[in-house]
Amino acid sequence: MLDTIFFYLFALLVVGGGILTITRSSAVHSAICLIGSLVGVAGLYLLLHAEFLFAVQIVLYIGGIMVLFLFVIMLVNLDEAARERQFNGQWWLALACVVVVGLQIAWFMRKGAGAFKLAPAAAAAASAAKGNTEAIADALFSEYLLPFEIASVLLLVAVVGSVVMAKKRI
Amino acid sequence: MPDGYLQIFIFLAIAIAFPTVTILAAKLIRPSAPSITKLEAYECGIKAASDSRGRYTVRFYIIAILFVIFDVETIFLFPFAVRYKTLGWFGVAEIVVFLAILIVGYVWAWKKGALEWV
Amino acid sequence: MTGVPLSWYLILSALLFALGVAGFLFRRNIITVFMSIELMLNAVNLSFVAFSYQLKQVNGHIFTFFVMVVAAAEAAVGLAIILTVFKNRETLNVDEVNSLKN
Repeated sequence: MLDTIFFYLFALLVVGGGILTITRSSAVHSAICLIGSLVGVAGLYLLLHAEFLFAVQIVLYIGGIMVLFLFVIMLVNLDEAARERQFNGQWWLALACVVVVGLQIAWFMRKGAGAFKLAPAAAAAASAAKGNTEAIADALFSEYLLPFEIASVLLLVAVVGSVVMAKKRI
Repeated sequence: MPDGYLQIFIFLAIAIAFPTVTILAAKLIRPSAPSITKLEAYECGIKAASDSRGRYTVRFYIIAILFVIFDVETIFLFPFAVRYKTLGWFGVAEIVVFLAILIVGYVWAWKKGALEWV
Repeated sequence: MTGVPLSWYLILSALLFALGVAGFLFRRNIITVFMSIELMLNAVNLSFVAFSYQLKQVNGHIFTFFVMVVAAAEAAVGLAIILTVFKNRETLNVDEVNSLKN
């Protein structure tokens, strides 16, 4: 009962934040509403027993990426940017795309309704004993070893690329 | 419902409700007399020097980028930290390789002068 | 799964993704377009985690984690590109940034 209430609360935060993000004309307001939406997603992660991802969502997404967005909004000239038109005339195309995507998903969920009633995997009992972060650590450092090391190369490329590109402006 | 989180969720709901109710109540009760002077930024009584929404320098952005990248690195260390005993020396080797690649980027950014504040 | 069934999470994820698509198509400000992409990424992450919870596996969590890491790298480089575009063109309008070379 209670988790249904909290699901609705977080879903309201997610969808409301998302709608405000794409409809507010000021970029700063959009960013703040997007932060609200991301907080809602973090709450849903907690409801889904993904504690590690909850922390990552708060620390990395909200504390890192969204702060970067706000920095960039502050860096560009706000008065100049606010005077430009914020919406283009393609709202009918956007609406059509949303309807098509929605119909597709509704169709797949009707057709695949049987697939959602999956039997729990056999490994469930073993992984229940340890916490979420421990389970992620075990998978990350054995099965997903190569992606883990490649991620450091990706981050290295990101450091080099962004510093080179931002440095030119000084 | 996750067992230990009920209190936190209730605390969160109250924390959201309290300022909402307070601000709404204040809006209903207070008299409304808007003026331009009230909307100005408050700088200890003297006239505000400039708009607070001015342009920042790009140096803040470089620092912010480096923060985000090394934030990701720190998050990768968390799963290692809770499991380093079971992972043993193999885990240490993995994390050393990971850190070595990123430290190359850090040293490069330092050499490039991205951390200088001039 | 107590209370909330998987399909509710999937419907919420679909709603969020559709919002992201709509924002991507009808906004002009390049920063807001970027924010719509973040909305879509979060929708996908949400369904990954919901499936992972249903199957009692940790793989979906790892995928979501890597999506977040890639999103961080993408935001750092993408926003640097936006800054460079703004410096060269003095505009953030996606419709006016239509050639690679002035």
